[in-house]
Amino acid sequence: MTIHWDAFLIVAGTTWLSALVLVGLYSFGVRLMAVADDGGRTAVPARAGAYGCFALCLAVVLFGIYLIIPALGGS
Amino acid sequence: MNNAWAAPVLIRFQMDLTLIVVLVIALALFFDFTNGFHDTANAMATPIATGAIKPKAAVALAAVLNLIGAFLSTEVAKTISGGLIREGEGGIQISPEMIYAGLMGAVLWNVMTWLLGLPSSSSHALFGGLIGAAVVGAGLGAIDYGVLMSKVLLPAVLAPVIAGTSAFLCTRLAYALTRRPSGVSSPKRGGFRYGQIFSSSLVALAHGTNDAQKTMGVITLALIAGGFQAAGSGPVFWVVASCALAIALGTYAGGWRIIRTMGSGLTEVKPAQGFAAESSTAAAILASSHLGFALSTTQVASGSVIGSGLGRKGAEVRWGTAGRIAVGWLFTLPCAAAVGAAAALMAHWGVGGLVAVTAIGVGALLAMWILSRRNVVGHHNAISDVDEAGAAVAIPSKKHRRRLARAAKEAAK
Repeated sequence: MTIHWDAFLIVAGTTWLSALVLVGLYSFGVRLMAVADDGGRTAVPARAGAYGCFALCLAVVLFGIYLIIPALGGS
Repeated sequence: MNNAWAAPVLIRFQMDLTLIVVLVIALALFFDFTNGFHDTANAMATPIATGAIKPKAAVALAAVLNLIGAFLSTEVAKTISGGLIREGEGGIQISPEMIYAGLMGAVLWNVMTWLLGLPSSSSHALFGGLIGAAVVGAGLGAIDYGVLMSKVLLPAVLAPVIAGTSAFLCTRLAYALTRRPSGVSSPKRGGFRYGQIFSSSLVALAHGTNDAQKTMGVITLALIAGGFQAAGSGPVFWVVASCALAIALGTYAGGWRIIRTMGSGLTEVKPAQGFAAESSTAAAILASSHLGFALSTTQVASGSVIGSGLGRKGAEVRWGTAGRIAVGWLFTLPCAAAVGAAAALMAHWGVGGLVAVTAIGVGALLAMWILSRRNVVGHHNAISDVDEAGAAVAIPSKKHRRRLARAAKEAAK
């Protein structure tokens, strides 16, 4: 019986890292959006930052789709 | 898909298809249906619970993504037998009867766990059923226990751990990043609902590429075993298309009992927490399917929901429900194996045995369906909190608003 602990650790690490990056980016975007909605001097840069965060999230999701579809060469 | 290659197969299919192969294909497609049905919850339970997507729209979205996903890849289908049963040279010959018996075990267990509202792995049920049938056909030596341990049992323990830890950390991170001084400014965490639409769609798409292929693999295995297709060839187009359709229909039907368990039975899910859970599920599934440590979608998703519940302050995890789910996982393989073995024993009697297996199987399915009608769970009542909230708020429709505005204008005149 062979248990590939190294494979397990790689899968675990990748899962943790990618989920944290995605959730971190989106949460930061949500926070900036809330700041922007408060109005005031920082509203415009905050909104721009929020959209930047959401765009990065979209990029991560697109990378996920790229991995799912073998025709794109991801696997 | 290559039509020139599919056409001759189709002609042979029409000419000399035997009873058993027809039965296997029919049952495999039904298994595919139950698979979709069972797993709608993995992607859509949390967005339904937080109100990110309306229940019917959620299952429709998941169904479409499963349909698309099923056409995207046939990699998994090509490796379906995966060495779990020692087939081929020096091993055992897999007969269509054995596949039929194995599928019967898997289908009955899937419908049974649905009746109980338990999310359980359809792949484990399929493995269990095939193992049971193989043991009857060729003795206990037919099973590679090392592979069973490292590919089925161990991942079942590790999947919820990986996903649960991830969801716990992500939930903590999401709440920490969006925390703002209370009473002064609003954190606006409702924004996570939009994210949930994307994260759950990713899970549904990944599910379509994985799970429909298991059935494609089984049907192809049966066609090869029945001598209708060359050994080592991949699934033909009508197999891919019918499997895609079956899993999409199953997904659209929605296993609402399981959605209820996953969406509100384990813990109460809030948008930020739901987004964290789905992102963890998607990350774990993609990582496992690309880095070679296969994990079950159902086990990953359940682990994520529990982890996210632990991560949010004020949320409580109902360990009783979690325990029932764990017991269900423990029984999945042996129970499906027992049914598969019993069916394989009967199938040995020839055509009469096959008819008996079919009759008993259909009877059991009907009985479970009738039992389910005593307490119907559907899109209208799977997760009641959302429905109640919706009814309480009662936002007027555009038409209604226009009418109200017109009435107000008339009154002002």
